[in-house]
Amino acid sequence: MVEFTERKPSARWKFRPSAGLFHRMSAFLTLLLLIAAFSFGNAAFLSVNNGLTILLQTSVIGLLGIGMTMVIITGGIDLSVGSVLALSGTVTGMAVKAGLPVLPAMAVGVLVGAACGLFNGFVITKMRITPFVATLGMMLIARGLALQLTGAAPISQLGEAFGVLGNGALFRMVEMGANGFPKVIFPGIPYPVILLAVVALAAAYLLRRRQTGRHIYATGSNEEAARLSGVRVHRTKIIAYTLSGALAGLAGNVLMSRLITAQPSEGVMYELDAIAAAVIGGASLMGGVGNVSGTMIGAFIIGVLRNGLNMAGTSAFIQQIVIGFVVIGAVYVDQIRNRR
Amino acid sequence: MDPILSVRAATKAYGALTALRGADLTVARGEVHAVCGDNGAGKSTLIKLISGVETPTSGEITVKGRPVSFATPHDALEAGIATIHQDLGLAPRMTIAENIFMGSELVTRRLGLPLLDHRRMKEMAKGYLGRLNSRLTDMDQPVERLSGGQRQAVAISRALRWDAEIIIMDEPTAALGVRETAQVLELIGSLRAVGVTVILISHDMNDVVRIADTVTILSGGRTARVLRAGDTDAQGLANLIMHAGSLAEPA
Repeated sequence: MVEFTERKPSARWKFRPSAGLFHRMSAFLTLLLLIAAFSFGNAAFLSVNNGLTILLQTSVIGLLGIGMTMVIITGGIDLSVGSVLALSGTVTGMAVKAGLPVLPAMAVGVLVGAACGLFNGFVITKMRITPFVATLGMMLIARGLALQLTGAAPISQLGEAFGVLGNGALFRMVEMGANGFPKVIFPGIPYPVILLAVVALAAAYLLRRRQTGRHIYATGSNEEAARLSGVRVHRTKIIAYTLSGALAGLAGNVLMSRLITAQPSEGVMYELDAIAAAVIGGASLMGGVGNVSGTMIGAFIIGVLRNGLNMAGTSAFIQQIVIGFVVIGAVYVDQIRNRR
Repeated sequence: MDPILSVRAATKAYGALTALRGADLTVARGEVHAVCGDNGAGKSTLIKLISGVETPTSGEITVKGRPVSFATPHDALEAGIATIHQDLGLAPRMTIAENIFMGSELVTRRLGLPLLDHRRMKEMAKGYLGRLNSRLTDMDQPVERLSGGQRQAVAISRALRWDAEIIIMDEPTAALGVRETAQVLELIGSLRAVGVTVILISHDMNDVVRIADTVTILSGGRTARVLRAGDTDAQGLANLIMHAGSLAEPA
């Protein structure tokens, strides 16, 4: 006989934030503390210019993190996003070289990313390969393809138009100075930041207000129950992986555009940053838990840490160590809270 | 009155193993019908046939007089038969309303954009729980915060959401304490009050005698006895089940 301890719904608290909200509040607090600490250490940290730099640097991890969040909520993982990013970026570069205008070329790149994700989804649902193994395979396949297609050489001289997405900005204000040199009044909002905001809003709408989003949570929470309740579990997973691949493709375009070069060896280990962003933001690798706003906070925690440590002259190696501890700490705090 | 569900001479063989050797089950509309029997008597197999998890090797199942053939649980659901398994099939970290509407969410449109209709889903969830006389009011609570009896109410509400006319409950009280067992039996009573037919699989003879109208006793894959629950007590029922083997096979 199973011993059953009754759980009475507690009436101690009037305001009981949900587990997710609590996690986001603590993550957001951590972000504010980091910003305060870095500003205290270096006044230049809190400038408009540096803020925009952080936003720009975070946009790639943010895009990858949003796709990763959807996949993690279904109870899966996508290890291929760093490689898919490189493949998509190089395909875009090759398409531009082949004479395609920049926008259609970028669309091709995003489609290639989506196709990689679709393939992941099929391998996971129809061939019943675990997500870890399936996307590990794609990680090697996409990277190998990118290197093979380019002979491992970067594609440069892609033209000015190719660099607009990564380097351009909205509302940029420049004034001719009296000395004849242009003076930047407001550096503008970089396009990648606008793109990230649009994608984040769209993903939040999908997850919170659409049936597909609800099915993503249901699949990760209790797959068997979801299937018996009429949720098309396979279709839901395929959608999540395809979106993750497409967003990796988009991130690849942003990154390569910023470099104005298509680099087949870019994005190594980016999948780990994306996973870290989602996990710091409260997503659970067990599935069923996570959201876009949490992942955005997680991505900015990583971005602010990198930027702040850079400005403080800390080496890239130390940065890795710090971020590693932050990931463990974030999950530990969450567990303590859940154990209560 | 015609039975809402009837199973005639159902057999089920898994290779060399025969789990059912001609079981009959006749369930009247609106009753609570208990299916009892010792381990290996064929209870789970019979339930799997009715809920669409397995297809019979031979035999006939009719729902409201029409012969049916279920290939999947979804087919059974279409015919109005919902099954609540012992694990309840709930997503613990999702809310009450989200669980009740899992897979059948309500959607509205605003400015041409499809949106989940959270407000109406919560209202309707409250309505279903109200029919079960449940006192749950906050539909945004995650199911993991609920007691065993309350979770059972959520699982039943989801079956009501599917317009189930027949609800199969597989060992609903097996893991519950005394008070929660009483709550679940109350829920079954509420279902009967709103005209839903309940098929109850249970090992607990006290529960069966307290709540069931009719009892079918299986033994060795056959129907051994059908009786009114009021005609016996828990001890009598236990004796019948123990000696059902000799009744079914007077060899």
